[in-house]
Amino acid sequence: MSEQLIVCEHLAYTYNADTPRDAVPAVRDISFSVARGEYIAVLGHNGSGKSTLAKLLNLILEPTAGRLTVDGVDTTSPDFSEDDLFEVRRKVGMVFQNPDNQLVATVVEEDVAFGPENLGLPRAEIRRRVDDALREVDMSEYALHATHKLSGGQKQRVAIAGMIAMKPDCIIFDESTAMLDPRGRHEVLDAMERLHRDEGIAVIHITHYMEEAARADRILVINEGKLAMDGTPKEVFSQAETLRGWGLEVPQTVELLMALREAGFDLPIDCLTSDECVAALLPHLAGEADA
Amino acid sequence: MKILEVEQVSHLYGVGTPFRTEALKNVSVGFERGLITGVIGHTGSGKSTLVQMLNGLIRPAEGRVLLDGKDIWEKPKEIRSVRFRVGLVMQYPEYQLFDETVEKDIGYALRNQGLGQDEIRERVREVISFVGLTPDLLEKSPFDLSGGQKRRAAIAGILAMRPDVLVLDEPAAGLDPRGRREILGGLTRYRDKTGTTVILVSHSMEDMATYCDRVVVMNHGEVYAEGTTDEIFARAGELDSIGLDVPQIAHVALSLKERGIPLTGTLYTVDGVKNALLPLLKGRKTP
Amino acid sequence: MKTEMTLGQFFPGESVLHRMDPRVKILLSIAYIVAIFLCHYVLTYALMALFTLFLILISGIPFRTILRSLRPIVLILIITSIINLLMTGGEGEPLFAWKFIHIYEEGLWRAGFMAVRVILLVVSATLLLTYTTSPIALTDAIESLLTPLKWLHVPVHEFAMMMSIALRFIPTLTEETGRIMNAQKSRGSSLSTGGLITRVKALIPVIVPLFISAFQRAMDLATAMECRCYRGGKGRTRLRAYHLHFSDYFMPCLFAALIVAIVLGNKYLPDLVGWGYSL
Repeated sequence: MSEQLIVCEHLAYTYNADTPRDAVPAVRDISFSVARGEYIAVLGHNGSGKSTLAKLLNLILEPTAGRLTVDGVDTTSPDFSEDDLFEVRRKVGMVFQNPDNQLVATVVEEDVAFGPENLGLPRAEIRRRVDDALREVDMSEYALHATHKLSGGQKQRVAIAGMIAMKPDCIIFDESTAMLDPRGRHEVLDAMERLHRDEGIAVIHITHYMEEAARADRILVINEGKLAMDGTPKEVFSQAETLRGWGLEVPQTVELLMALREAGFDLPIDCLTSDECVAALLPHLAGEADA
Repeated sequence: MKILEVEQVSHLYGVGTPFRTEALKNVSVGFERGLITGVIGHTGSGKSTLVQMLNGLIRPAEGRVLLDGKDIWEKPKEIRSVRFRVGLVMQYPEYQLFDETVEKDIGYALRNQGLGQDEIRERVREVISFVGLTPDLLEKSPFDLSGGQKRRAAIAGILAMRPDVLVLDEPAAGLDPRGRREILGGLTRYRDKTGTTVILVSHSMEDMATYCDRVVVMNHGEVYAEGTTDEIFARAGELDSIGLDVPQIAHVALSLKERGIPLTGTLYTVDGVKNALLPLLKGRKTP
Repeated sequence: MKTEMTLGQFFPGESVLHRMDPRVKILLSIAYIVAIFLCHYVLTYALMALFTLFLILISGIPFRTILRSLRPIVLILIITSIINLLMTGGEGEPLFAWKFIHIYEEGLWRAGFMAVRVILLVVSATLLLTYTTSPIALTDAIESLLTPLKWLHVPVHEFAMMMSIALRFIPTLTEETGRIMNAQKSRGSSLSTGGLITRVKALIPVIVPLFISAFQRAMDLATAMECRCYRGGKGRTRLRAYHLHFSDYFMPCLFAALIVAIVLGNKYLPDLVGWGYSL
């Protein structure tokens, strides 16, 4: 078991690479690695290449250049077999954007069982994994419900359970919150964080909502197919001007503090939560309380 | 002046089945001419049902929908003319594109209206500037457009009808921040230029704060609150408690007020809070 | 949302029929069809109807629901009855004669038999299969029953997988159709007025987006299935296991007894009773 779960070295992908006239480079020369149990957000505007990157990481797409190593196995080596491919897909799971288009079965527990069934596990083991996975995403009471009657957030949680049941080392969320209402988004974010905290599963969350990215331990910003920033949320959001230039936003607290700094106040700008922001403002408001 | 009103409307789904649900309970609400009114609420709050009643897709089981004071269901056979006057952009409207070219698709409603070719041509060209599409795209197949462009083309197809009331159900869902800003900003400009009444349905309190003059809050099939954006956000704490995502900046303002800081003004936008804070903050560095 | 699917609707429950092995139910449905085609005498038909009544009672499904399932076939029933009435010749005097229309007693009986046969077939099929068996159990059962065909290189697993995915997406696509129709109505299309050609034309704006969306969903789903390590039926195991219970042995015995009763009844009852019509 290697320390780094995923290692990308100069990874690149071009759509229609065979026909130079229509070739569209989507990912150009990206290098980074993902440690076991890490919680990473990948931020970028539509068309920045972030979804293509996700598809490279669990080999839905094969890189046109560069090297991808998953759990010590070089996926670009000539010895990489079909069995290895399925092993990588088991280790690196993926939850997609549209909740309706990734559920296979009409009944919740049947859907969660789909992955383990494909792995050819014994029946008792499938049963145990399905029950555990549903408990993990807080959907046990829905085990026998029809999948199409669930809310968007519940469908995504079933999809997450389907991944957990395969005992992956990492789950990629490819804009899995984009089609959900605020309640559904919270449900999925909570489930995501539980995976990271309790199960030690590495989480890679691809999103264009900066307030969701701010919850991760580390943010990768992708712009025009390149890795443009790599750092903690505080480091990344401090560069508000650059992010805006790429069509991204920063938390409102950062925006406020920046505006006040421009007006001549000595305030930090890397407060990502409202509590932090209030704490930063209060010393400058001493004696204003009308109590 | 209210251009569109619903009067004591109730609606049930699945009557006579175990799935019977009450989507709307005795709802009365009006929409002011020329303003942008936001409608916000959870999935299942009844806002989708309400929206589909406004252009006659759903006929209310009880109550009336009034357009310029006249019941839209007075002559059920003429409901189609109501749909041209109350334009509805449904959620994920890019799924309604079907025609050979973008131009033909945007003109679909106009052909249904029975307009002449020249009129259609002119209107299509006028409307694409509002949604930020360029004329060179008109000859393309709608299926060759990017996701954001498809959304714009679909919205243009409704704008081209020149409706008196424009209803949009989550027009920016799933778009990135820039796409969101461009679509919603474009609608504001469209309203300013044409004076069209706009009803904007959204999950996002931030959109309400930025783009709406008035806000209607729906909860459990009822109107929970209604008023100007200022009035609604004055109740930010309450909205929080029914689980709506109040913008982060409003949280900062609320929490400062709880600590006794006397903030006044528009306390739900970054600019508003900044202006409220400036006279109170101390320790400004000399420039 | 508004229109609940009636075709192939499953009513969850705990009755004997619900708990039976789906494979046994499929086999019994076939036995039922055999039984009904064996009926030649009015009293054996009555026996069959009584037995069906018994099935309805033990299923716990309300009569109203059963009657509703017959609504789509009313037209077929009327047409076949009329044809049978008119086309059946007879030996005796016609009961009714007007111009070229002659109705004989035989025609009356035959029309009645046919109608009862169709009604019983529909009731039993919905009762045994769709109403009391979940779609997934049904596809599992079909896959399991067709397994011997694998030796003939028939892609049994793929067929069953396709069926279960179709079942999964029926409600999704039904909803989608409703959404697209509403979107086009909002653009002034009228799906319910005009002549045949106008209506067919008005369908294009619904069908094209529906197809495109269905293809998109199919692509997405294929990718999602690959991500979940799907590589066909080889080496696959299943969560669901079906074990035979008492009723899975008892009901076939009952069906066997029924068939014996029908065969014997057809042969001996007409002479014993001395009344009624035999086909």
